[in-house]
Amino acid sequence: MVILTLLAAGLAACGSAEAPASTEPPVEKATEPPTEETTEPPTEEPTQAEPSTLRVGVTNIWDTANPAFAWSGYDIRFLLYDTLSEWAHLDTFEPGLAESWSVSDDGLVWTFNIREGVTFHDGTPCTAEDVAWGLNWIIENDIESMAFFLEDFEEVVALDPTTLQVTLSAPVANMISALLIYTYILPRSVWEDIPEEELMEFEDLEAGIGTGPYKLVEWVEDEYLIVEANEDYWRGRPPIDRIIWQQYATDDALVQAILAGEVDVIGVPSTAVQTLQEVENIEVSIGPTLAIFMLIINSHEEGSQPDNLNDPAVRLAIDHAIDKQQIINVAYLGYAEPATAFLPPAMGDFHNSDIEGTPFDPDEGNRILEEAGYVDGDGDGIREDADGNPLEYRLYTIEGAENARVLEIISDNLAQIGISAPPTVMDEDSLIALYPDYDFDMIYWDWGLDPDPKFAMNLFTCGERVEGGWNDSGYCDPEYDEKYYEQGAIVDREARRQLLWEMQEELFEKRPYIVLAYPLGIEAYRNDRFILNNECGGVITKWCLLQAEVVQ
Amino acid sequence: MIMERGDYLIRKVFFALVTLVVVVFFNFYLFRILPGDPVKLIIHSPRMTKEAQAKIKAQFGLDKPIWLNTERLRAGDVAGALDTQFVAYVHNLLHGNLGVSFTTRRDVGEMLMERAWRTVVLVATGEAVTIVLGMALGLLAAWRRGTRLDSGIMLWGLFTWALPTFFFGIMLMILARGRLPVGGMITPGLKLEEGLVYWADVGKHLILPTLTMAVTWTSGYLMIMRSSVVEVLSEDYILTAKAKGLSTLQILRGHALKNAMLPMVTMMAISLGYTVGGAIQVETVFSWPGIGRLMFEAVAKRDYPLLQGTFMLLAVSVIAANLLADLLYSVLDPRVKPE
Repeated sequence: MVILTLLAAGLAACGSAEAPASTEPPVEKATEPPTEETTEPPTEEPTQAEPSTLRVGVTNIWDTANPAFAWSGYDIRFLLYDTLSEWAHLDTFEPGLAESWSVSDDGLVWTFNIREGVTFHDGTPCTAEDVAWGLNWIIENDIESMAFFLEDFEEVVALDPTTLQVTLSAPVANMISALLIYTYILPRSVWEDIPEEELMEFEDLEAGIGTGPYKLVEWVEDEYLIVEANEDYWRGRPPIDRIIWQQYATDDALVQAILAGEVDVIGVPSTAVQTLQEVENIEVSIGPTLAIFMLIINSHEEGSQPDNLNDPAVRLAIDHAIDKQQIINVAYLGYAEPATAFLPPAMGDFHNSDIEGTPFDPDEGNRILEEAGYVDGDGDGIREDADGNPLEYRLYTIEGAENARVLEIISDNLAQIGISAPPTVMDEDSLIALYPDYDFDMIYWDWGLDPDPKFAMNLFTCGERVEGGWNDSGYCDPEYDEKYYEQGAIVDREARRQLLWEMQEELFEKRPYIVLAYPLGIEAYRNDRFILNNECGGVITKWCLLQAEVVQ
Repeated sequence: MIMERGDYLIRKVFFALVTLVVVVFFNFYLFRILPGDPVKLIIHSPRMTKEAQAKIKAQFGLDKPIWLNTERLRAGDVAGALDTQFVAYVHNLLHGNLGVSFTTRRDVGEMLMERAWRTVVLVATGEAVTIVLGMALGLLAAWRRGTRLDSGIMLWGLFTWALPTFFFGIMLMILARGRLPVGGMITPGLKLEEGLVYWADVGKHLILPTLTMAVTWTSGYLMIMRSSVVEVLSEDYILTAKAKGLSTLQILRGHALKNAMLPMVTMMAISLGYTVGGAIQVETVFSWPGIGRLMFEAVAKRDYPLLQGTFMLLAVSVIAANLLADLLYSVLDPRVKPE
């Protein structure tokens, strides 16, 4: 499950993804702009009740306090910083610091109306000029964690204190849904004076200053992190006063911690679901995620796989032979959905719902192989191709208890249709080392994907088959590439959807991946202390936390 | 005599230093012969573009050759031939700089300092309880040799010796859930400045891990203590002491214990050396934020600088503890003559 870091925010997902933005945006008090003297918290508060504290148990808080080099901890960062548009539910996006926007007909000039009266946690105002400075700072310093989102940005200027204009070098399809949701607006007051060479080691709590609903108060590496409500948050004070992330070393410890009452929320390993469901005051919420479990089939024309694995008939037979439901039941204890198209249903209409998947039918698999001329000539139970080469494949996966179980099942399934694929479990290092030469036949692995399909679809482009690229199947088709670049430049969502559906159709037919299952995200929380919403891709997400209710 | 001891000391220190140099070398090489690409391990995400990966590689010097820059050597640039990962590593090490972690982007030396004292608190407490318990039980078993008490203690020793640390830890955790904290070192938000309250909280968090260590580590001390006391008790001078009319307690304290201490000291010194890394299991089960867990995470993420730092610390402490054992031995036992 290593890859699931990709979308930390989305993977512990719960609630229905297909449900549109059914919930109201959080309480908005934009009508009365916050006052300027925001540096100190208000002193009133007539009934000073015990502050409400939500304690979140995690196995990894985040990698660094410095957002410029951060590759995890998105949940926390979205609470500290605002972005121009926000990822509200699994497949919906809402205005953030930008109240509204418009785009020119050629798709090159975007104009954003920036919210008035917003201030950073240190009290400095956040106008369109500050937003422009923040974006330009990312571009000019080539900030590792964010600059690649803005690679098509030619010019970012503030026309006046509330208007921001972005000029692109080429039209982009995912401006609102990808580029802007990940680019934090950081304060000039903090970052301007840090010389570039000192940027990487900047770890002060000041690095957490943004305009978001929570302020970073304390962080002790590998122990805990504390944030407190931002009284001046432009949507109004968030309902929970304090949130603490507490780090535990293992999933087992997390389960013990919620049972012991040390924490209020955890992500739940599937083996613990039943135990927790039986406990009073603990609510287990289960929902879709943006992840996939798949079998990668080496599709590189110069890869070391046997020629017969490139035969579409063999791939189709393999797809028929694998019992996806058994994999889900045995390895994931039922907490996954059988997969059909490459993009998971949690991506809304980008998921090609016309693709029905390949039914489990080993007889059909045998029939297909028989028809294609693969017969077991020597009676050893393994079919051979026309040249007498047996259908023997190397089948790998990354270490992990579930993965090992899945591999056993796949191996048994393939034996039923006369294919020999003994299971081999490897560590991540060794697996990654196979890639430069495409020296494998089949690998069972998983991906956590973004809400926007750009990076997911890029996994199959020819340009990613180089060092540092992510094309793990080695698939390359110029026509697919053409569609990929075209969908990336269409602002119209419906036109883009059509292309994405066609691309998924192609992937389904050519099978560089056989997508086996869409995992479910499982979380548990103390419902005697909080009522948490889980429709935003996990209960510990910005939008869901802003709608949380404190019970006691 | 004093000269001799001085020579002995110098020789021991010299060998310790040689060991250290070898460690420095292997510490660098071992992690780099592993297959794979550390940058891809930092984050396995298609979102990290090729350009971003190349930039990170350059930032951490991973784009340089490991031993010798043959390209620049061929171009006649002799100084440039040394522009390698190894030279940079040794150079930094000589300046006391352990580098910057790939994942946290923090100074490794700083990270180690933060964790080291946490591990020391944990292991010192654990070791102290273990040693006292082990010695007491071992002495008792030897004294009551052949009785049911002896067999009982021996059985307990064998049982706990075979007990996996992590399993016992998890069982304790389940039993004590709700009464004692199941993980971490401190309740979030408590500050060192709060003094007694802080340490009381740490103490509460220490109970389960200490108990786990005490139970699973005791048997080693117990066995050694018992067998050395049994051996000493069969010596002629014990008989003499008995004949002189000394009480059992006097014999045990004055003669048996003192002579049985030699193997105990060795064992203590050696386990002291493993203090830093030895608590990996306990730290992992109880989420104790110490060196052991840091090491575990560094391995998982292939964080070269962090790996080098933690393993260096481990090596240094093992070497230092062995040196200490050698020196203590020559002081405690006059028979160990420096040759």
